[in-house]
Amino acid sequence: MRDARAWLEKIHALDFDRTVKIMNVCGGHERSITHAGLRGALPKWVELVPGPGCPVCVCPEEDVFQAIQLALQDKVILVAYGDMLRVPVNVKKGEIRTLAEAQAAGADVRPIASPVEVKKLARENPDRPVVFFAAGFETTTAPVAAMLAEGMPDNLSVLLSGRLTWPAVAMLLDSGTPGFDALVAPGHVSTVMGPEEWTFVVDRHEIPAAVAGFGPESLLASFYSVLRQLKTGERLLDNCYREVAHPGGNPTARRLLGETLDIVDANWRGIGVIPGSGYALKPAYSRHDARLLFPDHGDADSNQPGRRRAGEMPPGCDCAQVVLGKIYPNQCRIYGRACTPRHPVGPCMVSDEGACRIWWAGGVRVAADA
Amino acid sequence: MCLAIPMQIESIEGFTARCQAKGVWRDVSLFMMQDALPAVGDFVMVHVGYAIQIVTAADARSSWELLDQILEEGGA
Repeated sequence: MRDARAWLEKIHALDFDRTVKIMNVCGGHERSITHAGLRGALPKWVELVPGPGCPVCVCPEEDVFQAIQLALQDKVILVAYGDMLRVPVNVKKGEIRTLAEAQAAGADVRPIASPVEVKKLARENPDRPVVFFAAGFETTTAPVAAMLAEGMPDNLSVLLSGRLTWPAVAMLLDSGTPGFDALVAPGHVSTVMGPEEWTFVVDRHEIPAAVAGFGPESLLASFYSVLRQLKTGERLLDNCYREVAHPGGNPTARRLLGETLDIVDANWRGIGVIPGSGYALKPAYSRHDARLLFPDHGDADSNQPGRRRAGEMPPGCDCAQVVLGKIYPNQCRIYGRACTPRHPVGPCMVSDEGACRIWWAGGVRVAADA
Repeated sequence: MCLAIPMQIESIEGFTARCQAKGVWRDVSLFMMQDALPAVGDFVMVHVGYAIQIVTAADARSSWELLDQILEEGGA
């Protein structure tokens, strides 16, 4: 920890006379920051803002609803990362709200930790359709691309809710009120896509940025880098995770993503459509595209006409504001009251990468005024 | 979901590597490492069952220490 202390001393010596907000866009970063207690160790003039870093939190409500219906009505084996199972959709009281509830009601829903398990499961059940509900950012979508490129069993399809991280940051910056003065760029997204993806933050918006890893030393080094840039007026994309995030990223992963998936405009739950921020299967892989193979249960003409609040966050839930870094988790109206990890209302309290869940696990109990 | 864990490769068959981290073994796909294939003995950063980058032994060890701390605090 000697390095961490040295970085902290350097940061304290900078001594700003105004508040400086540093945004991170990675649930892993937020978790490390909270667990290491970095907020308490930094000077009062530094605020660390958790931004759009939770793919589960922004996965469209319609996609979760569709996944639940595929499991219930189309009797598929529905496979998803464990985090997705407790994300609630907006349905009438008493109706099935989550994949976990669908599972309890007899649907075949199976949590997995790796796409490798999905293929194995599909091969073991050749007579049944298997749908992999795949939400995730670039790091998690690349393995889906690898799976498609490597070849999938005929009975396996993908309900893809993959998202790109940088367009959400670009949207915040283009809005004119980004809500942050500097950016810590995600370490493993940069490992796959290359740190260069973030140069636009510096070049186009003159906002200091640094790629960080997940240890306190790397995070503090990135904070010092962006703070020093703000002080000196110098602007650069720094890389404080050089040992893993190499220039150009992972060329195989990028090639596989380009070969199998198109980049499309995509909906972020509670936020809306962000241009060029989503992944969709290329037409060559349409026989594995669950969006084409099964009926769209969220469609107004389907058996769920006029489902109320489709696509929205649950009533009272400020997850979208939390995801955009507009408010802190404990400024949400229901944080710690109606919404706790045991009874989560919004996806930010469900996912291990959700800022609300991380803050709750880190002991933040007091609700703050927005 | 974006958590990645360094593991050491003990054997390789095709694009599947038998990997170990602190007494836990997993089959890891090397399909995304085709432009820089690792060898037996190398450490790789593993994310949802896929290796995404080669790392040094020292970096692997410091990542393990960090994960241990997080797990001890019961939050992972």
